[in-house]
Amino acid sequence: MLLEIRDIQVHYNGVAALKRVSIEVPVDGIVTIIGANGAGKSTTLRAVSGLTAISSGEIWFDGARIDTLPPDKVVARGIAQVPEGRRIFPDLTVEENLRTGAYLRTDAAAVERDLDGIFVRFPRLKERRRQWAKTLSGGEQQMVAIGRALMAKPRLLLLDEPSMGLAPVVILEIARIIKEIVANGVPVVLVEQNAELALGLANYAYVLETGTVSLHGASRDLHENEHVKRAYLGV
Amino acid sequence: MTEIILQTTLNAVYAASYMSLIAVGLVLIFGVMGVINFAHGELYMAGAYTVVALYSHLNFPFLIAVAAGLAFVGLLGILMEYSLFRPLRDNPLGGLIASIGFLLMLQTAAVLGFGVRMAHIKPPIQGKIELLGAVLTYQRFLVIAAAILLLTGLYLFLRKTKIGWAMRACAQDREAAALQGISLNQITRIAMFIGASLAGVAGALTAPLVSPTPYMGHSVIVTAFIIIIVGGIGHLEGAVVAAVLYAFVHTFVTTFYDGVVADIVGLVLMLLVLVIKPTGLFGARERA
Ligand SMILES: Nc1ncnc2c1ncn2[C@@H]1O[C@H](COP(=O)(O)OP(=O)(O)OP(=O)(O)O)[C@@H](O)[C@H]1O
Ligand SMILES: [Mg+2]
Repeated sequence: MLLEIRDIQVHYNGVAALKRVSIEVPVDGIVTIIGANGAGKSTTLRAVSGLTAISSGEIWFDGARIDTLPPDKVVARGIAQVPEGRRIFPDLTVEENLRTGAYLRTDAAAVERDLDGIFVRFPRLKERRRQWAKTLSGGEQQMVAIGRALMAKPRLLLLDEPSMGLAPVVILEIARIIKEIVANGVPVVLVEQNAELALGLANYAYVLETGTVSLHGASRDLHENEHVKRAYLGV
Repeated sequence: MTEIILQTTLNAVYAASYMSLIAVGLVLIFGVMGVINFAHGELYMAGAYTVVALYSHLNFPFLIAVAAGLAFVGLLGILMEYSLFRPLRDNPLGGLIASIGFLLMLQTAAVLGFGVRMAHIKPPIQGKIELLGAVLTYQRFLVIAAAILLLTGLYLFLRKTKIGWAMRACAQDREAAALQGISLNQITRIAMFIGASLAGVAGALTAPLVSPTPYMGHSVIVTAFIIIIVGGIGHLEGAVVAAVLYAFVHTFVTTFYDGVVADIVGLVLMLLVLVIKPTGLFGARERA
């Protein structure tokens, strides 16, 4: 396993948001975490990235414990995150936003090549590279956020609700991009409320309910699960 | 009449120069760390007393004393970051209150070390430039030149260097910056050094012109807050423009009416901005 979340708990002001959550992510493919509002999906990703401290349990990445590392050290290990709400830098240009993703990299020539690669993958961003990021549409901002994470040349990509607030046609484009990323050898952890989309993309799925994993299994199987159908697929 | 106007303009440029240094430092610290540093006026005072100690008492050359003021106050800034703001990172109000405590400690230290009386400093640089009847002393000219140099340097640093870039990213979204691998500890330490040292160098350069007292920080911090509110909280360029605006209004009103009226006009200016454009002239974005 590339990433192992073992029995972690997270408390916010004494209230448990995660109660003994365990999740495993293999070296390829997509693992999705689905669940309702407030289930603890973002908290799980934040714990992995070191943004939120865990109160017990362990997080291992590529054979090393990372749950005590600050966020920048987690990035240095190779985990990039596209946070919930995109969180691009509004007063930096599109190109500057993308370059911040490569902050820790020292291979300048390769960074330039990767930047060109991002512009090939997202032609819309190339046209807007000198524009302030805050002037972009929601879909374009999501592309900046994903592009920025890819600029880190991650070994694992965490995506927190990339479909949030986007039109169906834009969601399809984001889905295509996620498949492309995985095809290029970067495994993805996909957090989604859009269960249909997530189960369609992922190989393996976890269902999070009020801070605990209530179900997990191959996406295909969960897609047919009666509880999942009723609670998350609206059928 | 033109003489008076020209003279007042020069006075205003001088006031704008050192106020910009102080206000920009305060904005930088607020932008990157999200805390209001109430001790900023006392950092300015500490810079002035570095000159009192090294130049007046120990007879070091003036510019050496100024450089020492810059470095010493910058280090005070790092000390504040490490001991106060870092442990209180998730608690901006706590940071503010801790900075008030630090303010009192600095003031007390100055009183114990130098007494409460004004320190008079013999002018390090003699001579003046005369321009159509108006006068600009070299000492004031030095303050103006240093402010332009330092603020230009800061601007280039923020735009052109990787660290400066990271600092802007932190000011816009700290968590998102951390997710790019930017070390918040490193960036806040550097921001605190720069912000504090700008106040320190302002105090050091103006020390011979203002006769330092341990309480000189008070009036400065009030003015700096007005400037920041007028310019737009968290906006560096706004702080410079507002400092210039405020200095001109304040200096002209002082010259043609008096200082008390000028203070009132300054406050009215701030209130007007708050009523008409609460985000300041440059409309800082809301903080997350
Ligand atoms: N900073 C915080 N302080 C206090 N409580 C928090 C904080 N962040 C999250 N919580 C609480 O923790 C629980 C889990 O929140 P989390 O954001 O992880 O849910 P989520 O599954 O991502 O939800 P959503 O789909 O709405 O994004 C919620 O009850 C939330 O109210
Ligand atoms: Mg969430």
